[in-house]
Amino acid sequence: MLVIDNVTKSYGSLTALQGVSLELKAGEFFGLLGPNGAGKSTLMALIAGLRRPDSGGIRLDGQALTPDNLGSRNKLGFVPQTIALYEDLTAEENLRIFGRLYGLQGTLLRERIDQALVTAHLQDRRRHYVKTFSGGMQRRLNIVAALLHRPKLLLCDEPTVGVDPQSRNAIFEFLQMLNSEGLAVIYSTHYMEEASKLCSRIAIIDHGRMLAIGTLPQLMTRLPFRESLRIEGANLTRDSLAPLLSYGELTSDADAHVLTLHANTRLSDVFREAEAARLPTSSFQLTRPDLEDLFLHLTGKSLRDT
Amino acid sequence: MNPILTLFLKDIAHFRRDRTSLLLTFVVPAVLIYIFGNVFGVNRESTGPVGIPLAVVNQAEGAKSADAIIAALQKEKTFRLITTTMDANGADVPLTEDKVRSLFRENRIRFALIFPPDTESDDTFGLKVKYLNNPRNDIETQTVNGILQKTIFMAAPSVLMDALRKRATQAIGAAGTESFYRSIARSVGQSFNTDPEKVFDEMMRGDILSPSSSSADTPDSAAVPSDFFDRMIKIESEQVSGKQVKNAAATRSVGGWAVMFMLFSVSGAATSLFEEKKAGLFRRILAAPVKRSHILWSKYLFCTALGMVQLAALFVAGKLLFRIDVTSNLANLILICLAASSACTAFGMLLASIARSPAAASGIATFLILTMSALGGAWFPISLMPDFIQSLSKLTIVYWAMEGFLQVLWANCTFRDLLPYLGVLAGIAAVINAISVWRFNRGEMFD
Repeated sequence: MLVIDNVTKSYGSLTALQGVSLELKAGEFFGLLGPNGAGKSTLMALIAGLRRPDSGGIRLDGQALTPDNLGSRNKLGFVPQTIALYEDLTAEENLRIFGRLYGLQGTLLRERIDQALVTAHLQDRRRHYVKTFSGGMQRRLNIVAALLHRPKLLLCDEPTVGVDPQSRNAIFEFLQMLNSEGLAVIYSTHYMEEASKLCSRIAIIDHGRMLAIGTLPQLMTRLPFRESLRIEGANLTRDSLAPLLSYGELTSDADAHVLTLHANTRLSDVFREAEAARLPTSSFQLTRPDLEDLFLHLTGKSLRDT
Repeated sequence: MNPILTLFLKDIAHFRRDRTSLLLTFVVPAVLIYIFGNVFGVNRESTGPVGIPLAVVNQAEGAKSADAIIAALQKEKTFRLITTTMDANGADVPLTEDKVRSLFRENRIRFALIFPPDTESDDTFGLKVKYLNNPRNDIETQTVNGILQKTIFMAAPSVLMDALRKRATQAIGAAGTESFYRSIARSVGQSFNTDPEKVFDEMMRGDILSPSSSSADTPDSAAVPSDFFDRMIKIESEQVSGKQVKNAAATRSVGGWAVMFMLFSVSGAATSLFEEKKAGLFRRILAAPVKRSHILWSKYLFCTALGMVQLAALFVAGKLLFRIDVTSNLANLILICLAASSACTAFGMLLASIARSPAAASGIATFLILTMSALGGAWFPISLMPDFIQSLSKLTIVYWAMEGFLQVLWANCTFRDLLPYLGVLAGIAAVINAISVWRFNRGEMFD
C-alpha cells in the first residue's frame, strides 16, 4: 500500500533522513521507534505530504505523496504530535471543520461526526469547548478528527506525549480497535513499551537512518544474545559460577551477577549445568531482551538517555 | 465545501467565541472614538478652542481702542479674559504687567495682552500693544495668534479712523477736513443715489469703517457707507465642498480613527496565524487536501471581512454619536471601506510573514500603525507637518484611506472621483500581498 523508496531529506547542513526505505501493507500496525530528533516526525511529514523529499519517493497506492498532489490526501489521516484542535470551539465544531476540509458535507458529515464522537466516548460532550476537556479527551478527539474521512492509513506522530497512563491505555485500545477494523497505522514513538505493545512491525530509526525493521521476534534475533540470568546470592563468587561461563558473558556488581546468554544457548542446558554445580537455581531470575536492549545494541546508547 | 470557505467560516466561528477580540474590535474603538470625539469637541455646534486664559492689562486710561478691543475679546468665546487678581487681603485688584509676568513664570497663563499708557498717541497713527506669549504648544499658539489678530482688527478700525481724523484735522485744519469729507460724501451720494448729508454725518461720526455700521437697526442710514466699502473690498466667501456635512469635525476625523483601529484589529487577526502554527493546526490542515494558498486566502478574506464589519460598526457609531452622514453616498463608502480593509489586511499579512513570533509581530504592528497613523494624518492635519513628512505620508495606507473617506463623506464624490483612491489602495494591497506570499513561501510559518 505504502512504498517509501530511498528517501533523503535535509534541512540545511542537517540530514534528517538518509536513504530510508520501507513498505507497508494494508491493515498493518507499524511502529517507528527512535529517540527525539531521530527523524520520525520528518518521515511522518513526508508521508503526510507536508514536505517534499530531497530525493527518493513516497507512493500510496501508486500515487505520489507530495505537497502538490492533493489527490491522495483523502486516503491519509494525520494525527499531529500536538493537540491540533481549536480550543475555543466545541468538539462538534472542530470535527465539522476537519470533515469539511476532506470534502464531507451534509448528512454524511453529520453521521461521521456522530460516529467519531461515539468512538471517542465524547458524545455527551459534543457541544462543550475543547479547552474544557481533560488531556485524554483532547487526545481522543485529536485522533478521531483524523478519521472522519475514513482513511486507509493513519499517521500517528507520538500521539501519547504528555498523556497519563490511564488515558494512554484508552488510546491504545482505541487504536487497536481501529486497526482490527482494517485501518493501517504508522505509529511513531520514543516509548519502546508502546511500540512493542501495539505494533506488528517496528522500524528503529536514529540520526535519520533506519537501523532495523521487522517484527519484534525478528528484531530480537539481531541481538547476539537472547536472555540473561540474574543470579543473587551472598556466597556466590565468580569462581563458583565458572561452570556457567561457557553459556554466556558474566558481569557482576555489588548486588548480583548477570549472565548474558549467548544467542545459541538453550536455557535447559544452563539450568542443568547449574544444578550439577549445586548452584541455587531458585534464585535465578530470567530476563528477556527488549527493544531497549536492541536499541542499545544498535546505537551504543540507551533509548531513554537520548 | 471549498477549503477556503471552510477555513473562512472557521475563523468566523473562532472570532465569535473570542470575547476579548470582539470587545477589542467593536466596543473599544467605538468607546475610544466617543471619548476622542468629545475630547476634540467634534459634537459642538461651533468648532475651535474655547476658554483659553488671556490676561489683559490696561494701562491706557481712556484709550478708546483699548476699551473696544477688550470689549471684543470678552465676546470672543476662544478666550477667558483675566483682568484682575487677588491681593493679600483677598480683594480683586487690576492685573499689572509684573503680576502677569509672574503668572507666566508660574505657568498659569500662556497669553497676555498689555495696553501700555501710550497705546494711542497723538504723535503717531496706529496702536501700540504688547503681546506676551508662551508658545509651548505650537498649534495652540498659532490658533490664538490668529484669533487675536482677527478680533483686534475687527474692533480697532473705528478708533483708528478717529485717530486718522484727528491727525487730518491737525494737518489740514477743521475746514479743510470738512471740505474733504463733503466732497467724498457728494461722490458717494451720486454713485449710490443716496443723501450726501447722511453719508457726511456717518463719516464725521467715524462709523464708516465700523463693522457695526451695517447693523440691522439702522438699515437706511448705515447701509450706504457700509455698502460703499463692501463694494470697494468685496470678499466673497464660498464653501465649495462639504456644505452638506452635518458634523464637520467628526466627519473629518472619523476616517483616520477608523483606519487606525482597523489596522490594529486586522493585524491581530492576521498574526493569529502564529497561534495556529504553534498549536500544530497547519500540519493537520495541510495534511488534508488543502494548499497553503487556501489558508492564506481564507485568512485574507476573513480579515478583510472583519475590517469591513468593524468599519461598518464604527460608522454606525459615528452616525449615532456624532450625526455623521454615512448613508447618502453609501455605495462609494462601501467601496472605499473594502479597499481600505483589504489594504490593511495586506499589511497584517505582511507582518505575519516577516515576524518570527506573535510578540515580534505585535511590537512591529504597534510601531508601524502608530507611525502610519501620525504620518498619514489620523491625528493631526498633515498640512501642519513639514514638507518631507507630507511627502512620506503619501506612502501610508492611512493617508490614502483617509483621503478616500473624506472624498466620500465630505466631498460626496462620484465613483469616478473615488477611483484614484480605490486604485492606490488596491495597488498597495497587491504589492504587499505579493511580498507576503513570497515571504510565506520562504519562511517558517507552514513548516
